Amino acid sequence: MLSVTINGRAYGPREVRDELSMNDFLREYLGMTGTKFGCGAAQCLSCAVIVDGPDGTSYTMPTCIAPAASFNGKSIRTVEGHAKNGELSVLQKAFIEHFAFQCGYCTAGFLNEGQVLLERLAKKPVARADLEKTIVEALDGHLCRCTGYIKYHEAVRAVILADPGRYLS
Amino acid sequence: MQLNLRSPLFVSIVILSASMPASHAVSEAASDALASVESFASIGDTAARSAAIFTELGKVLTHPRCLNCHPAGDRPRQGDMARLHQPPVERGADGFGLPAMRCPICHLQANFDAAGMPGNPIWHLAPREMGWEGKTLREICIQIKDPARNGNRSVDALIEHIGEDHLVGWAWAPGYGRQPAPGTQKQAGALVEAWVKTGAECPN
Repeated sequence: MLSVTINGRAYGPREVRDELSMNDFLREYLGMTGTKFGCGAAQCLSCAVIVDGPDGTSYTMPTCIAPAASFNGKSIRTVEGHAKNGELSVLQKAFIEHFAFQCGYCTAGFLNEGQVLLERLAKKPVARADLEKTIVEALDGHLCRCTGYIKYHEAVRAVILADPGRYLS
Repeated sequence: MQLNLRSPLFVSIVILSASMPASHAVSEAASDALASVESFASIGDTAARSAAIFTELGKVLTHPRCLNCHPAGDRPRQGDMARLHQPPVERGADGFGLPAMRCPICHLQANFDAAGMPGNPIWHLAPREMGWEGKTLREICIQIKDPARNGNRSVDALIEHIGEDHLVGWAWAPGYGRQPAPGTQKQAGALVEAWVKTGAECPN
């Protein structure tokens, strides 16, 4: 049985097969195809979504290797939930302004990871000197076969530097 | 250096060992099975019996299910071929991975066979000092008795660790596509207990 909150909306309770992955649940059952299926082995992280913990912390998690049932009771965010009232988030706009993506297949994963980083820095800012390392470590593991990563990093960095009082110590 | 089971040195050791009484039980047990403690009773010399029992236990300790998470470096291995783990995760300070790539993010409470993903509630790497990869069985034996390199355990505590620990037990229920460790966890625990009670001797 699965009850899960996605982008603030409650889904379920719903009977799901034990072998159903969360990726299939999102894409095939709910039609939320913004979350991609890439390698199927948690190696590219194009399928990563944001999991919001009860303690206010958030982290990303690949959905291709996780049973849907393991998300029971959890609250997650997908790429479909970033824009509010038809307006893209700050990070989404930055991705566009920096030509961060080409084919876009990996973008949802990068977006979720970047958003988690921004929220983490808003709670616990880092020194400017540590920013590059922080971005590299945060986006590490996400694979992109088009743009060479640099533009994603530039976009995330630009959002942070545009509001240093919020993200930097 | 990896444990190369096809190296001439290893083959020589196996041939030499097979000719020795202490290894009698090892040579008779199938590779996917473990010889019983009772099968070593014919070895009169206690120290030799103890070493022979450990040699049998070595089939578990050097199996990919155990060795993959007791690597020489900071990266675990995976699969029956013991290839380096992909994605390229590392041990991290606490054995649960680096901050952005924590083990439990992918390795959940249990195996998820639909995706070939192994799982356990406390999935993590053994500490660096407990790495066995590339070592001889004698070296592993000496190491596993050393509290500084066995998680600060007495040899008695190893009975429970190998015989009952839930994460260790995963080695015998590794899910689809992975060969389980030889025998059963209960049999392995019995071998450890017999080894300890006979003096915890190491094979030469």
